[in-house]
Amino acid sequence: MNASNTMTGYDRRMRSLMNNPRLYPLHATAARRRTAVAAHVALTGTAVVLAVWLFRQEAPWTVLVMPAILLPWCIVTGILNSATGGLFELRARALDERQLAEREQARSAAHKMTGALVGGAALGLWLAAWLTDGQLSRAYVAPLLAGVFVLHWLMPLWIAGLLVKDDPADDFADDAVPSYS
Amino acid sequence: MSEQVHNRMAVVRAERKVSRQALAEAVGVHYQTIGYIERGQYNPSLDLALKVAAFFELPVEALFSLEPFGSLTQEVYGRKAQS
Repeated sequence: MNASNTMTGYDRRMRSLMNNPRLYPLHATAARRRTAVAAHVALTGTAVVLAVWLFRQEAPWTVLVMPAILLPWCIVTGILNSATGGLFELRARALDERQLAEREQARSAAHKMTGALVGGAALGLWLAAWLTDGQLSRAYVAPLLAGVFVLHWLMPLWIAGLLVKDDPADDFADDAVPSYS
Repeated sequence: MSEQVHNRMAVVRAERKVSRQALAEAVGVHYQTIGYIERGQYNPSLDLALKVAAFFELPVEALFSLEPFGSLTQEVYGRKAQS
């Protein structure tokens, strides 16, 4: 796309995978994309909570529940990647100029949001430490860091999923039009 | 900085019977990018605008303009559309 002649076989395979037309009906409308983003946020939140419990060994049963969360999480991640055309999975050389601009737009918006969340989390921890003489903040540092890291990682994908615009109806129909020669 | 660039790509593409997919492959972009440009949701770079113009063998100003395009019938026949 950006420089098709420098793309590797891996880039071409990934671009083909991310633009699989069979997945198109799953994210064809804004409502479906919003639903996918909401489901992904819910599944991610659940997975983070379960992981924190597991880490603290407060609930060993979470080992059994985790695959039931991660499998649908992987499927919904695939839907979002397909909706965005692999914006965050493909290398820059496999994206065209419009896709690169969209990626930067999503990253920029995500950076602002996660920056505000990190600031809020830091302020919350400082307040908790001040109010409880350091006892409460110590218990919450690791889960909070894990949550902030996941938000930092996935926020661009969620925002890009919400920013995708509908294709006009004839985007596929006009493939039947014979090429001009 | 984000001035609207008007274009006539959809009209010319339909007149030449070229699909979005075929045009996208010819100029090396994603097929959705052609739709984004046609709908005015993305302003192409000079490089891409020149590639599109070269594909249709037209001067770039025949396809892209900072001013809205008038109707083709008005340009060709000098008549205003009846309202």
